[in-house]
Amino acid sequence: MTPVSALRQGAQRVALARRLSDEWRAHGLAARPADRPAAEAAVVALYRLIDAPAPEFVWVPSPTAALSMVRDDPDTFPPVHFQGVNLPKYPEGWPLAAQLANLVQDVRRSLDRAVGHSASRGFWWRPLAIPAERALATGVAIPAIVDMVVGDALYTTLHTCVRTLIRAESMPTTGGTDGMTWYGQHDAHWIGHYDVYARTGLADYPRPDAELLALLAQLARSAGWWWPGEGRCVMAERPTEVHTEPLPDALNGEVRLHRDDGPAVRFADDTQIHVLHGTHVPTWVMTDPSVERIHAERNIEVRRSAIERIGWDTYIAQARLRHIATAGDPGNPGSALHLHDVPRELWSRPARLLLVVNGSVEPDGTHRRYGLSVPAHFDDPVAAAGWTYGLSGEHYARLVRRT
Amino acid sequence: MTMPTAPTMTMTPTTLADLTRRSGLDVLDHLERQVTIPVVDGLQAQGDLLVVPYAFVARAVTLTSGNWREVPTAGVELLRSAVGGNPHTLVADPGTCRWTRHVRDTMGLAIGMIETSAVAYLIHPEHGGTGIAPGRYVVRRQRERDTERVGWRGDRMIAD
Repeated sequence: MTPVSALRQGAQRVALARRLSDEWRAHGLAARPADRPAAEAAVVALYRLIDAPAPEFVWVPSPTAALSMVRDDPDTFPPVHFQGVNLPKYPEGWPLAAQLANLVQDVRRSLDRAVGHSASRGFWWRPLAIPAERALATGVAIPAIVDMVVGDALYTTLHTCVRTLIRAESMPTTGGTDGMTWYGQHDAHWIGHYDVYARTGLADYPRPDAELLALLAQLARSAGWWWPGEGRCVMAERPTEVHTEPLPDALNGEVRLHRDDGPAVRFADDTQIHVLHGTHVPTWVMTDPSVERIHAERNIEVRRSAIERIGWDTYIAQARLRHIATAGDPGNPGSALHLHDVPRELWSRPARLLLVVNGSVEPDGTHRRYGLSVPAHFDDPVAAAGWTYGLSGEHYARLVRRT
Repeated sequence: MTMPTAPTMTMTPTTLADLTRRSGLDVLDHLERQVTIPVVDGLQAQGDLLVVPYAFVARAVTLTSGNWREVPTAGVELLRSAVGGNPHTLVADPGTCRWTRHVRDTMGLAIGMIETSAVAYLIHPEHGGTGIAPGRYVVRRQRERDTERVGWRGDRMIAD
């Protein structure tokens, strides 16, 4: 093949991968009723692969609704996490959910061999930070570009920005195991990865692997989360509403959850998940962001989201913070640093609040103000600001520029 | 500082538009793209990151290995915020800038060290771009006092 036609073929593959990635993202974000016959047929076929009879299906409106069913019925949904003496002697003695997971794990290993590398990433991994078309022109290998456009982009959107938040909301980590959860539409990031490799001609799978992948793909296109049990399978509907915004640095269509005036995700049973610019916030942040709740909140992103909803000036007035001192912010012309005392009973330890102003302008033309807690011994706002970066006030006063 | 006029430096971006075009990274639409990006020879902040001339913190920050890495054209992500968006990316002309994460900081705030022989740039989707004059710098994160007494320091990191 000539270099030119190789380049053209590469460009066509990347374009196809992008289109397929968009399709998979749409399935992952779909907010319409499940295609129950398609989903049930896929599950029955999966049960058959491990020699289990077709289960009875129980449909629920949300993952939250499924959780109590799964937890309250240990005969149908036995624990799948074994330790030492609990471990069954033979694989046939494993719970059905564990056998199914085992089967899929084996197939994924086989698919990885055909692809040439694993779909999962190590902690050290960082995404490529350039557009696919430019990567192509500079000679980056096609599989690396396809990974960026498909697997990585879908993982960011469906796993990091959507599934993680739904799971945090509906499955608190306290209160016991949830058995074995399959994520249906939110498994689309890894199912899509294998699917696109096959459909762009970059990998060729053994027939049994391809058939199992097709079943999982059918589930990802037709339903929400599901829990396989002994003789019974609990299936959750997809959400009825999903609201997103583009990730600010998105190169490949990545989005995050966001909605200002209501839940970003809602299920038919009115399970709601509130998200502001990707930050998962408790309901009170949307409905009643009070000073007491803000001070009791551990997560700074949540605190900031809540304070920004009532406004920094209102917050400082309502919290009756005593003003200590104000100074110009070095490197940030026209902006001031305000130091306030914080009543000890509110933050449960001595601290002061430093109100600072962002160096860069927001889309609405304002500069965002935000508060940082600093040790109580500071009287000088510049020294307090220096402390946040581990510098003395004298050093911080030499700040040339803030963006 | 004055810009060298050697032909190899003609690629050096001077506006946010140049910088985003060259690096492939983008910034939010409302940021002014045609203004020349100032090059700072000293202490500067970009959101929750601080670029500190090494001399300021030479006693607190030490290298733990000589394992430097070249900054590629596509840039290096120094830090990404909590929900996966908004990275601070370091970009530079090929062969002019190197960096390492192998640093020890008595304050526990350093995330790396930069050594650049030409102007390097920090770019962020919300904060825009800023130039770093040739020299050696430590990059630190911002912290605040934890309002609960957790951990031995009782501080936590800012992620914007």
